[in-house]
Amino acid sequence: MLRLAKIHASYGSVRALDDVSLEVGEGQIVCLLGANGAGKTTTLNCISGLVSIPSGSITFDGEDITNAGAETVVAKGIVQVPEGREIFPTMSVEDNLILGAWLQKDRRAARQRLEHVYDMFPRLKERARQSAGTLSGGEQQMLMIGRALMARPKLMMLDEPSLGLSPLLVQQVFEIIKTIHAEGMPILLVEQNARLALNVSSYGYVLENGEIAFHGPAETLKQDQKINEAYLGV
Amino acid sequence: MILQATLSGIVMGCVYALIALSLVIIYKSTDVVNFAAGEFVMIAGYLGLLLLDHFGLNYPLMVVLTVTLMFAFGALFERTALNKIVGFKYAAEAALVPMVVATIGLSFMLKGAVRVIPSTEEVLRLPPLFSGPPVFFANIVLQRQDIGIVIVAVLVMIALTLGFNFTAIGKALRATSQNPRAAALIGIPVKRMRMMAWGLASGLAGISGILLSPKLLMTPDMGNVVMLGIAASIVGGFTSLVGCVIGGIVLGVVQNLIGIFVSPQAIAVTPFFIIMLVLVMRPNGLFGEAMRLKKV
Repeated sequence: MLRLAKIHASYGSVRALDDVSLEVGEGQIVCLLGANGAGKTTTLNCISGLVSIPSGSITFDGEDITNAGAETVVAKGIVQVPEGREIFPTMSVEDNLILGAWLQKDRRAARQRLEHVYDMFPRLKERARQSAGTLSGGEQQMLMIGRALMARPKLMMLDEPSLGLSPLLVQQVFEIIKTIHAEGMPILLVEQNARLALNVSSYGYVLENGEIAFHGPAETLKQDQKINEAYLGV
Repeated sequence: MILQATLSGIVMGCVYALIALSLVIIYKSTDVVNFAAGEFVMIAGYLGLLLLDHFGLNYPLMVVLTVTLMFAFGALFERTALNKIVGFKYAAEAALVPMVVATIGLSFMLKGAVRVIPSTEEVLRLPPLFSGPPVFFANIVLQRQDIGIVIVAVLVMIALTLGFNFTAIGKALRATSQNPRAAALIGIPVKRMRMMAWGLASGLAGISGILLSPKLLMTPDMGNVVMLGIAASIVGGFTSLVGCVIGGIVLGVVQNLIGIFVSPQAIAVTPFFIIMLVLVMRPNGLFGEAMRLKKV
């Protein structure tokens, strides 16, 4: 469904990605693992059109979306949930969510979508009128996922959804990821917590210094000795 | 006497507030302080006069056309000059200094361009929005133009409040200014939003120009009035739209009271004195968000 073929990216003279190829199939959860600075976020930003790539190609649903620009990528159905607390802090929770449907011209459908998101995150409904900046870290993560769902994505990318959350909240976030996936959504998941990520994924890629060092079915990666030592701390 | 001074202070304060709003809208959406805002005010005054005298437009049509042209001019400057400097949209922070320098350049350019026109050597005057005999309330005299200024300013502020809080495009503008990256990731066209913010701010400067030009003497240097807008926005905290309005009015009133109680000569230094006082006592202004350190 989403295919990256030999993409390169650099910031000035610093090479960030080198010959990265990966694929996310229909209804799959694919995880992208790697240490800090390995190029995981850069990969997502290349797909989202925030970073332009000098060579390589990105196709989605058979269409070429290489360097198409952020607006087009979202319109085609790929939505990224960025790392950290990327919300609109002084706007209400509901306004944050509604902005997620910016490209949806059908207002009635957006309303229904909002109800759907509220069903999934009752907490957000309780706080609908509150300004988003007053939410807790976990709630802000939920808000970002909800906002991304408002865009009616065909594929979601999540960047470090567990970052800075308590173990209990991490579990909640992963439950949500599983729920969204159960509705048929393909997901590209970037995580530092390799064990958690491999447990929900069917396939995994490992980035090292901007290159894909290993890839394979999640089960295989979990058993791989080198990966165990480097990323699972066994 | 004091009441009279306070009222005329509020009138001037409303115009300062509009200039401050223009500055703050640009600052919030692009992190740039627009040093050409004063020249936008000046250009709008001359443009209005040109449309009235040379093209013989009636007053309301002139206002609409001037504000529209100023909107287009601001948007065009953003698209042609600033966008080139920003290059890639999220690297904006790295290019702050060149962008601010570009606005300073623009201010000199506009001043120079107006000086080339021979008739601007003499002091010109734009007819007021509302003319007629002054209105008397008890022992207070109010010029019709002054009442008009307050009405227009209040209407503009109401329109901005409604626009930013209840329309999709207004919310998208706020979202872009609060978090451009997150905005882009949900498909909001960040570049177009920045352009709109510049257009909107220039349109506001245009309205201020039309309101101010009948009160001040029109010269190519009248853009210096931007200092009062800067002072008003600093009092308000530079990030708060409400702060701008209150800052402008406080400034206008304090200026006039100082004129009475200290000396009329002190009026000119008042804004600078207020800037210093606010920066020392309350660096974030009355309504500003906490200061964020930014790498420049």
